Amino acid sequence: MLKMVVCIKQVPMVSELPWDPATGTLQRDLAEGMMNPACRSALDAALRIKETGGGEITAITMGPPMAEEVLREAIALGADRGVLLTDLKMAGADTSVTSHTLARAIEKACPGFDLVLCGFSTSDSETAQVGPQLAEELDIPGVAYIDEIGVFGQTVRMQRFTDHFLETLEMDLPGLVTVNTGRYAPRNVPLGGLQAAFDGADIVSLDAAAIGLDPERIGAKGSATKILNVYSPTAGKKNIVLTGAPKRIVEQLFERFDDKIGGAIGKDLKTERK
Amino acid sequence: MTAKKRAIWVFGDYRNYFQNRVALQLLSRAKELAAKINAEVCAVVFGYKTDEWTGDVPSYNPAFCGVVGEYIAHGADKVYLADHPRLAAYSMETYTLLMEQLVKREKPEIILIGATTFGREFAARVAKRLGTGLTADCIGLDINSEGLLVQIAPSFGGNLVAEIVTPERRPQMATVRPGTFQEIPHDYVRTGTVVNVPLPKSLPADRVRLVRSERCPQREQKLEDAKVVVCGGRGLGSKKKFAKLFELAELLGGEVGATRPVVYADWAGHNALVGQAGKPIRPQILFSFGISGAIQHTAACNDAKFVIAVNKNPNAAMMKRADVAIVADASQICNSLIQELKRRIR
Amino acid sequence: MDFNPCMKHKVVRKAVRMFAETELGPIAHDIDRDARFPTEVVEKMRPLHFFGLQAPKAYGGAEMDTISYAIVIEEISRISAAVGLCLTVHNSVGIYPIVRFGTAEQKKRFLPAMAGGERIGAFCLTEANAGSDAGGVETVAVRDGSDYVINGTKIFVTNGGVCGTALIFAITDTQNPQRSAGVFIVEKGNPGFAVGEIEDLCGMRANPVSSLFLEECRVPETNLLGRPGDGLKIGLATLDAGRIGIAAQALGLAQAAFEDSVRYSKERQQFKKPISSFQTIQNYLADMATEIDAARLLLYRACAVRDAGRPFGAEAAMAKLYCSATATRVTNTAVQIHGGYGYSKEYDVERYFRDAKVTEIYEGTSEVQRMVISRAVLARRT
Repeated sequence: MLKMVVCIKQVPMVSELPWDPATGTLQRDLAEGMMNPACRSALDAALRIKETGGGEITAITMGPPMAEEVLREAIALGADRGVLLTDLKMAGADTSVTSHTLARAIEKACPGFDLVLCGFSTSDSETAQVGPQLAEELDIPGVAYIDEIGVFGQTVRMQRFTDHFLETLEMDLPGLVTVNTGRYAPRNVPLGGLQAAFDGADIVSLDAAAIGLDPERIGAKGSATKILNVYSPTAGKKNIVLTGAPKRIVEQLFERFDDKIGGAIGKDLKTERK
Repeated sequence: MTAKKRAIWVFGDYRNYFQNRVALQLLSRAKELAAKINAEVCAVVFGYKTDEWTGDVPSYNPAFCGVVGEYIAHGADKVYLADHPRLAAYSMETYTLLMEQLVKREKPEIILIGATTFGREFAARVAKRLGTGLTADCIGLDINSEGLLVQIAPSFGGNLVAEIVTPERRPQMATVRPGTFQEIPHDYVRTGTVVNVPLPKSLPADRVRLVRSERCPQREQKLEDAKVVVCGGRGLGSKKKFAKLFELAELLGGEVGATRPVVYADWAGHNALVGQAGKPIRPQILFSFGISGAIQHTAACNDAKFVIAVNKNPNAAMMKRADVAIVADASQICNSLIQELKRRIR
Repeated sequence: MDFNPCMKHKVVRKAVRMFAETELGPIAHDIDRDARFPTEVVEKMRPLHFFGLQAPKAYGGAEMDTISYAIVIEEISRISAAVGLCLTVHNSVGIYPIVRFGTAEQKKRFLPAMAGGERIGAFCLTEANAGSDAGGVETVAVRDGSDYVINGTKIFVTNGGVCGTALIFAITDTQNPQRSAGVFIVEKGNPGFAVGEIEDLCGMRANPVSSLFLEECRVPETNLLGRPGDGLKIGLATLDAGRIGIAAQALGLAQAAFEDSVRYSKERQQFKKPISSFQTIQNYLADMATEIDAARLLLYRACAVRDAGRPFGAEAAMAKLYCSATATRVTNTAVQIHGGYGYSKEYDVERYFRDAKVTEIYEGTSEVQRMVISRAVLARRT
């Protein structure tokens, strides 16, 4: 039975970003969470593998207690069980520390796993680093940004289009992939599945001690990078407003920006002066 | 005994034209940063028959040819070169091991890698092996008063920008978004040193096997790579009026994008969808016609350098974030623009 | 008493909201303008159990609790009240009566297709002479051997244009209308069952509301729900359940109008300030927020009483009365806050305004709701 682990992150819903321009900080705790879109694709890839050839899917997430929501959703969509890694000590982790935490948890909660699937990147931090770093921590082969995957016994074949190369790759399990959004489109959550996921689902919660992690090596303590400053780039943007008759507006537009537009399209847009 | 000079390394991702330009951009910025901390700039190249590579400009300095010559001409003081048949194709595990060993030996202060798909994964693995921090997809780099590399990176689809440092661990590593920096003109009279990097005696085969690899220039990412994008929304009013955007785009040498409601209404195909469920764009100029600005759409437009939005409603989100907000009927402005462009472009 | 939503309700809300915004959001305006029922979205809803929200799992339903059900209806209605209406009518007054009063054989025969959304349900009570006065029903079902033959015309049937399974309220003995009423299940395709023209309505336009003509419509007696004479009891119980759905629908409308008003008042500038800085607008928003919150709590209380297995008729009537009144008031104020733009079809608020009014009328007018509540109040005081 193919044992799959899908790593899922709960990220803030973009439309709900509570940004405080006065203090210049993101109020993460106020934002509603959602399953990271790329993680949805990873889950979809795992579900398709399960649907065609069978398998068992464990959904795993690291986050505050409310991250349990994405596990319930994953189970509603077809995952078999969920593992929640939650501990205040884990907060503030950078990608390297996150991958360490996930790796130790996967070894503990899913021994004998065959395939780990991650989204290629998250919509909040957008680093795309956890997947490859997780492969390093688990010391298994890994391929990032795959568009398609097929399992053939203990070997997987993957296809991806990266940096203008269309590649077909192969590796033996156990292995890890990070999945691109595209072919594996997120699927809608069946409401009956949600109800069942809350009625009785196999969800296990683990803290740092349960996984056997060294508190000095996790969370903000273990992280190598430090954020000095966060700001919104468009805050205080002053824009130019043009109103009036269309012809006049277009005249004004070219009066001020003919060079800019011309530069972008590679043509000289100045009218000839007689 | 003089202390070894500090070094800023740039990974030479030379495999194809696009990726190579990124390395050249990084070299130019590395030079500026190096001046601030009195360091030298080194390029790192792993490949095969790198001296036969011609890029798009031949080297005139007979001492250096191929990739090495290109990088020295663009600012590298030193090039670490591993040239071996086993490195003919990208091999993630092999490259990661080589880099790890090289870094542990030479101890650079800073390593910069282009945020190409290869680069981002490669950097992540190398940083992991070295136990150091890594900031992804930087849109700016600087040196602060403490001599630390300040890594400026976006998150939340560009809605937030963070300034990050790696206070203790070394090297300080960052991947940089292509197009962030400008290459300096080549100087083929420049000299530099080449350090040949031998392969380690024990080099296991990569556990990921490359079965097939094809260069695919045909698969176009016209919309994603377009320098000019003309995007249309429901505010245009009808399929017929939306269709005028194609004429405008052609005059501008750009591509047409659409919002979700427009695609749903069948005014445009799904391949024109600009948004979270569609394509991200990063044009120099974005014309936005009749688009209110749902977050799913604007998040995909965040990298547009200059935005001209047209909408009857001055309060639409897209108008607020535009550089030029035109309060008028989108379709009329489109037509006037087409007329005016026809007049000016000969 | 914990007033915080539990995790399940939060997740249900988010999942449905995402679906509604993605699938219905882009077309909500157009389906109202064109009075078009969005069959393509309905197709996507079917495998997700939208048509069997509270139906038993054994028949393909999701067996959700009532608050989850209310959340689903609210979130769909927040984007398109017309589609929300289709769902609540189908679930509450189409499927529910069969679940509650049907025999095992009837459930097996009718529920799977309904829970899967293959057959959309409709409850047909209203006639030209029978609105609030259910006793004025003139549709007659005459016994003939082991069949019933039904004759009559039902009007303003929600989902009429697309219904596959209709529950027809008819009397079996014209001498004794009140005590002889029955609810008959008639499926589309049954000879003598015809759909009339789709109504041209002020709001809820994407819902194909129509008349239904029953002309010598013959159904076996096994299509009668309960026994002859149970019709009134079934009708009343059904309307109780239906009230919760309509309340949720009205709440979704109010919520949408409120959110749009908050957003607009922050963006719209007059006298060099956003209008949200003016006390009049602030007062409007404060009142809207309070009413919606009160409506929401009334609704969830009715849901909780129902799920606890206790009689919930009065509570459901209060919820429907208050939610629908809130919808009308809030949408009206929303248009006012939007000013001239609020009156234009370029903005959604005028659609919410048109949609809201009928929530005070159908499934028991506000006047009838007051009757129900006052009876309960007066009964308690003795």
